[in-house]
Amino acid sequence: MTKPTQVSERRLLDGGEDMDVRAQLVMVFNLDKCIGCHTCSISCKNIWTDRKGAEYMWWNNVETKPGVGYPKKWENQDLFKGGWLRENGKLKLRALGKGPTLFNMFFQPNMPKLDDYYEPFDFDYSNLYKAPPGSDQPVAEAFSQVSGERMEEITNGPNWDDDLSGSQIYAANDSNLEDRTLVEDYGRMFMQYLPRICNHCLNPACVASCPSRAIYKRGEDGVVLVDQEVCKGWRFCTSACPYKKVYFNWQSGKAEKCIFCFPRTETGQCNACAHSCVGRIRHVGVLLYDADRVEEALLQPDNELVAAHRAVILDPCDPKVKEAARMNGVTEQWLEAAEKSPVYSLIKEFGVALPLHPEFRTMPMAYYIPSLSPVISSGADLHELALHGTIPLLEKLRAPISFLASLLSGGNQEVIAEALQKLIALRVYKRAGNLGQPVPESTLKEAGLDEAGADKLYRLFTIGGYRERNVIPTQQREEQDSYQRKGASGFGILKKTRSLK
Amino acid sequence: MLNSFIFVVMPYAALALLIFVTPYRFCSNRLTWSAYSTQFLERDTLFWGINPWHYGILPVLAAHFLGVVFPAPMKAFLGNQNNLIIFESISLALGLFALFGCVLLLLRRVNTPILKKVTFAADWVLLYLLAAQALSGVYVATFMRWGSQWYLHTAVPYLWSLMTFNPQIEYVADFPLVFKLHAAGAFLIVALLPFTKLVHLLYMPFRFLMDPPILYRWRSK
Repeated sequence: MTKPTQVSERRLLDGGEDMDVRAQLVMVFNLDKCIGCHTCSISCKNIWTDRKGAEYMWWNNVETKPGVGYPKKWENQDLFKGGWLRENGKLKLRALGKGPTLFNMFFQPNMPKLDDYYEPFDFDYSNLYKAPPGSDQPVAEAFSQVSGERMEEITNGPNWDDDLSGSQIYAANDSNLEDRTLVEDYGRMFMQYLPRICNHCLNPACVASCPSRAIYKRGEDGVVLVDQEVCKGWRFCTSACPYKKVYFNWQSGKAEKCIFCFPRTETGQCNACAHSCVGRIRHVGVLLYDADRVEEALLQPDNELVAAHRAVILDPCDPKVKEAARMNGVTEQWLEAAEKSPVYSLIKEFGVALPLHPEFRTMPMAYYIPSLSPVISSGADLHELALHGTIPLLEKLRAPISFLASLLSGGNQEVIAEALQKLIALRVYKRAGNLGQPVPESTLKEAGLDEAGADKLYRLFTIGGYRERNVIPTQQREEQDSYQRKGASGFGILKKTRSLK
Repeated sequence: MLNSFIFVVMPYAALALLIFVTPYRFCSNRLTWSAYSTQFLERDTLFWGINPWHYGILPVLAAHFLGVVFPAPMKAFLGNQNNLIIFESISLALGLFALFGCVLLLLRRVNTPILKKVTFAADWVLLYLLAAQALSGVYVATFMRWGSQWYLHTAVPYLWSLMTFNPQIEYVADFPLVFKLHAAGAFLIVALLPFTKLVHLLYMPFRFLMDPPILYRWRSK
């Protein structure tokens, strides 16, 4: 692929309409199907972060919502100062400008510390057979993976508030929760899972904050990477990322983050997390977007950000878009993948997938389909449920719309309601079909769906196969000089980081 | 003998190491090119150590360079007694500030168990060396008054003579031992720079200040 041509050249070719079309690999998570099994986290850890200094890194993690997440309270930007703010019609980093950054290099004021994550531990299994004879059963004692010292008590972990454990301490402190007493009320309590990876944002704050310019966005697929050779460990990225998905490796002294499994996606394979997903909740595909309109979109008020996201995403079937994409070096294979993209359908065509915390203004490229939470099921409500054919009404869902709106739409409750309405209508429609009952025509229509659309969504959510849920075009490495390509690969990284102690 | 070693052998050896080892390390393995911050593991003491150290030592270091690069304007400026007194007082205060920070950083390494695994021999050498350097600097500033003035007439011409490959050590040969130790420490630090985490001193923020915020890399480039 070539570098995007100059704006003036592009103008000439697309008839005066200025578009800087780029391709982005995007993941969509269907929260309705997430069972919180953490298989994604484990497969990611096994491949990428099973190393010294990276023990505490969970490039992919699954959080229980409501909850404080990982690291604790990552959503509270008063604490870590992540993301962007609007100021005088411009975007600026919430944390520090360029000058103050240089004056804070010695001590980074907003950096999360080890305790905000947890002290990684392992167990000394050798004690099970090495222990001297005695009256007690020998145990495998915990030791810290940082200091190597024995740990008397483990007080924290990567998923300490899993399944609402310690809800009075953790869930009650979820910043999305309007009414904290909800946590104490067993009848109104709800729970959902939130799997998270790096969002590979279109306006990544980590990239902007890096004084070494070590973090970059790949032009071809939008993956955000840390160049380990250039990173000098200034640590501003770790807090600038509002999702806290850049981690500091205490052993190598450099920052690391999710690489969107680029060695896999480059060859058309699914990311390890998506590949191993038991619930098949993940969809991976290509989006085409207009890079020229990203900043303008991010200057919109919070509750219009979802619409602004959708406006930046372009229709891959539009010939004008395709032409502009070709001008930017997007290959035919990628254009084809963009047309078949499941994520385009979910995000823009049907509008059921929403960005995580768009108000952080990094324009995250991981999208979430909100889940239909359990219904409030006191005695009287059951009667109403039966009237509706066991599919709940939007108003009866346990998770407050305000909670979902705070999480996925910058506070815009209508956007959430629209998405949930579609999911409910889809269920009503398919249930009636299965039972051979007539479907009231208005059901789909009122939700903004038609039968073809509902069938398409149904396939994606249920019986669609691996290549339907994930459409990942390969990187066209054959365009590169084959001598160099072959000569420069195959042995991995032979250089060493600081030696282990 | 000691004079030739400290004032001729050491500076040239240090300079040679700096010039040849730094690019070699840069080109061969940049995976070890890091400031190796330990803020992630311990931040409470670090705040009180690392800030005084850097904010103290950087202006003092800059003042040393200023004297070498612009001796004439500095002589003129410090010729005024008021200027000299103020300059000396500020420098001594900054030196004490740096010394305080450095000693705190040293104590922190000793007293924080979680730092054991990230503390290597090089860290100890650097911490002791920098603390000794700050201490000898503070000693010189306190007991050999008006150093900012006599520095310009002794050490500066000597350093210039080094650069013209005609070392004239008579400028500095008769100083007390503590001054010589301070000079030797400085050359040692320069010599160690390319081998240790001190390479983080070579950071230049030009690209950061000038680039647009979002950096792209295209494969074709």
